[in-house]
Amino acid sequence: MTVTMTTTILDIPFAYISRGREIPYRFAAAHRRAWRRIAEPGDWWTGAERVAIAAETRAAAECGFCRERAAALSPASVAGGHLRPCLPSDDLLPEAEIDAIHAVIADSARLSPDWYEGVTSTDGMDDARYVDLLGVVVHVFSVDEFHRALGMALEPLPQPEPGEPRRHRSSKAEHLAGWTPIVQPWMCDPEDRDIYPGSRWAANVISALSLVPENVRWLSELSAAHYLPHHRVGSAMGVDSEGWARAISRPQVELIAARVSALNECFY
Amino acid sequence: MLRASSRGNDALDIQSVVDPDADSGVPHGGILTAFAESAVRRADDLPERREDIVAAMGEPALFDAAGIVANFQRMVRIADGCGIPLDEWTRKRTADARDQLNLDRFKSAANTAAG
Repeated sequence: MTVTMTTTILDIPFAYISRGREIPYRFAAAHRRAWRRIAEPGDWWTGAERVAIAAETRAAAECGFCRERAAALSPASVAGGHLRPCLPSDDLLPEAEIDAIHAVIADSARLSPDWYEGVTSTDGMDDARYVDLLGVVVHVFSVDEFHRALGMALEPLPQPEPGEPRRHRSSKAEHLAGWTPIVQPWMCDPEDRDIYPGSRWAANVISALSLVPENVRWLSELSAAHYLPHHRVGSAMGVDSEGWARAISRPQVELIAARVSALNECFY
Repeated sequence: MLRASSRGNDALDIQSVVDPDADSGVPHGGILTAFAESAVRRADDLPERREDIVAAMGEPALFDAAGIVANFQRMVRIADGCGIPLDEWTRKRTADARDQLNLDRFKSAANTAAG
């Protein structure tokens, strides 16, 4: 008997069209790239560790213990344990990193310099590993939030790919804004001069992950699909702007953006 | 960005950013912010809020609105997770809006004060 393996559209990640939704292709394309980035070794975490970070991110979004802590005046006053994902191996992530993932997802408004120092000073952790971890957390969460907002099931996480992390960090990064060292366009290493296309200066939220430049590339890809390409944020202000191809206007976009930020109590 | 993109709209009321009962003056602003709030809060009425957008603006608008929610759920966690301050350019031009909306009450305002 011959068995023929056939790939159907249902096997392709983020095949939105198979769910009967005419979601613009830019979303599926960016989300597929995000899933590839999670599966592959990154700069400071292996593919298996990155998938574990992604799974922990999902657990954090449903974690009742985190919800209780976020609602408490003092998070430390709440006893309990995190909701944990079911993983083939439960020891890929140290406890401090697990707690950091949950804090970023569930209670980011209360993160502080002391918290950051605590996370990055634990055994095996440093600023670059933290930035690379944060990169996975926020991108997975963002893709999942798109699905939740539309009432769609979450995409299964990818299978990790083998290989070692590249261990690359910006050699000229400095403490210019915030807790993590960053680079502005004129400071980038030669191999990373592409991370701020068309920009001579980068807003703090764009450069925040630039200690590990690959995370800025990732951020740019997903932002271009969900929002706008970074270099157009300051210019594409109206529906009559060149290339504006959204079903909602720029003021409507910015109203939603501002409301989401306020609901998260994000000052930035 | 809301103000910058709304030049010429005298009806704009930025109070709607923090007050769900305020009229933003942005067309369909009420149903868009209600959808955003339900999505962020994981509220039970999220299906109805989706339908409100589809009925008033069409399904493509819902997809784009979901994309913006997803985008800024990411950006706020980058900002707070890295403790970044407001950019100097923004800090200078938005002082009045921050006062009006009382944004200094947010804990992450300390990152800008320290920056």
